[in-house]
Amino acid sequence: MKQETGPIIEIQGLKKNFGPNRVLMGIDLAVPRGQVACLIGPSGSGKSTLLRCINLLETSDEGRVLFKGQDITQIPPGPLHAKIGMVFQQFNLFGNLSALENCVLGQVKVLGRSRAQSEETARKYLERVGMLPYRDARPEQLSGGQKQRAAIARALSMDPEVLLFDEPTSALDPEMVDEVLSVIRTLKDGGLTMLIVTHEMAFARDAADRVVFMDEGLLVEDGPPASLFTHPQNPRTQAFLSRSLRG
Amino acid sequence: MPTTFFGWIQLLLDKYGSLFLQGAGTTMLIAVVGTVLGFAIGLLVAILRTIPLKPAAPALQRGLIKGLKILLAAYIEVFRGTPMIVQAMVVYYGALQYLQLDIPALGAAFLVVSVNTGAYMAEIVRGGILSVDKGQKEAAIAIGLTHWQGMTSVILPQAIRSILPAVANEFVVNIKDSSVLNVISVTEVYFMSKSAAGTYLKYFEVFFITAVIYFILTFTATRLLRLLEKKLSGRDSYTVYGSQSDHAAHITYAREEAP
Repeated sequence: MKQETGPIIEIQGLKKNFGPNRVLMGIDLAVPRGQVACLIGPSGSGKSTLLRCINLLETSDEGRVLFKGQDITQIPPGPLHAKIGMVFQQFNLFGNLSALENCVLGQVKVLGRSRAQSEETARKYLERVGMLPYRDARPEQLSGGQKQRAAIARALSMDPEVLLFDEPTSALDPEMVDEVLSVIRTLKDGGLTMLIVTHEMAFARDAADRVVFMDEGLLVEDGPPASLFTHPQNPRTQAFLSRSLRG
Repeated sequence: MPTTFFGWIQLLLDKYGSLFLQGAGTTMLIAVVGTVLGFAIGLLVAILRTIPLKPAAPALQRGLIKGLKILLAAYIEVFRGTPMIVQAMVVYYGALQYLQLDIPALGAAFLVVSVNTGAYMAEIVRGGILSVDKGQKEAAIAIGLTHWQGMTSVILPQAIRSILPAVANEFVVNIKDSSVLNVISVTEVYFMSKSAAGTYLKYFEVFFITAVIYFILTFTATRLLRLLEKKLSGRDSYTVYGSQSDHAAHITYAREEAP
C-alpha cells in the first residue's frame, strides 16, 4: 500500500460529465511529494472539478485517483480521507463553531485524538496563520481573510499530506488577498504537497514549482512557471496568458 | 339551579374545577411528550433520508439505503395524509383486536401523537437542512466526517436554529389536536369537558370554560417558547473582529433590542 517513492497523487484518465456537459475529458496528472502545483485556466475549464474529484466531493465517471499508489475513489469518509485536505473559495467554516472548535472537531471525531491534544494542535496552527487571538470568534464575526486563514488552520489541524486549494482568494477583497497568499507561501516552506487552483498569476509565477494550464476539460500545458509564463508553447496558453497578464 | 350564564360558570367551576385541571394536565403531558419524541423522530428520519447514495457503493448497500428511504417516505406520506383521530382509532383498536395488546389509553396517546408529529417534524427538519449552505456539508466531508457526524455536529445545530419557530408551532398544534384523543377515552381536557357537559346538559357554558383553558395553555406556551427561541438564537451583542469591506475594522456593536 505504501509507495513512498512514487507520486503522492496520481490521476489516471479522469473523466467527469455533468449531464451533457463534458467537464473533464481524460486527465492524467502525477504530483510528486512536496510539490506545489498551480492549476490555471479560464472559468469552466474544469480546474475546480478536478480538485473536487481528488477530494471525492464529486464522483468521477471514469478513471482513477491514486493516493500513494492506492485507489481512493471508493473509500468511505474517514481518516484516510482526511489525508487530503481542502480549502474552499467560500471558506466554509462551520458556522455553529468558534475558530478553535472548527479546528478541533475533525481531530476528535475523525482522528480520535484527545480533546487536550486536539486543542494544542489547533492552537499551534491558528498561531501559524495569525488567528490565535481570534480563536473564540465565530465565523460571522470574522472578515473574509480571517475566515480563510482559520479555514487553512482547520485543514492543517488534520495533518494532511496533500492540501487542495480551490480558488482560495477569489471571494476576497483585494487588500485581503495578500494575507492569505502569504500564509500559503509559509506552508510551501514546510514541504506540504499543494494543488492550488488560482487566478493570481503573480502568485503562481513565484510560489509554484509547477504550473498546469487547463482548458475545456484537458491539460493543455504543464511546466515550471519560469518557462510556462515566459515561453508558452500552446496557442491557447498564449492567448489565456496574454489576457490574464495584461491587467 | 343558577339562572345566569355566570352563575352556571361558577357552579361548573366549583363542581368540576379539579376535573378541568386534571384534564389540562393530561393535555399538556401529551403535547410535551408527543412534541419532544416527535422532534427526535423527525431528526432521525431527516438524517436517514439525507444519506448520500454513492453510485460507487456496493449494490446491496445501495439497495438497503434505497429501501429505507422509500419506507421513510411512505411513513411521512401516510401519517400526514390521514387524520390523527383515525390513526388513534386504528392503533388503539388494532392493537387490541389483532395483537391482543391492551395498551393503556395514555400510552396509545403518546404513541399516536409522537409518530404523527414525527412525520411533520421530518419534513420541517429536512427544510432546515436544505437551508444550511451546501459548503458546510462539503467542508464536513473534506475533513473526513461521516454523514452522521457531519449532521449531528455541523448541519443540524445550524438547521435547528432556523426551524425553531416551526417546531414551536407543532407544539401549539399538539396542545389543541390532542383533543381528538377523546375517541379512545384519553382523559384530556376535551374528554373531561364532555363528561362535565353531559351531567347538566350545559354544553355552551362548559365548552366556554374549555376554550378559555385551551387558550391559556397555548398562549402561555407560545410566550415561553418565544423566550427560549430568543435565548437560543445567540447573544444579543457581539464583537466584529474584521470586516470584508473595511480592512482595519474592529467594530463593537450591540444588536438593537426588538420591540
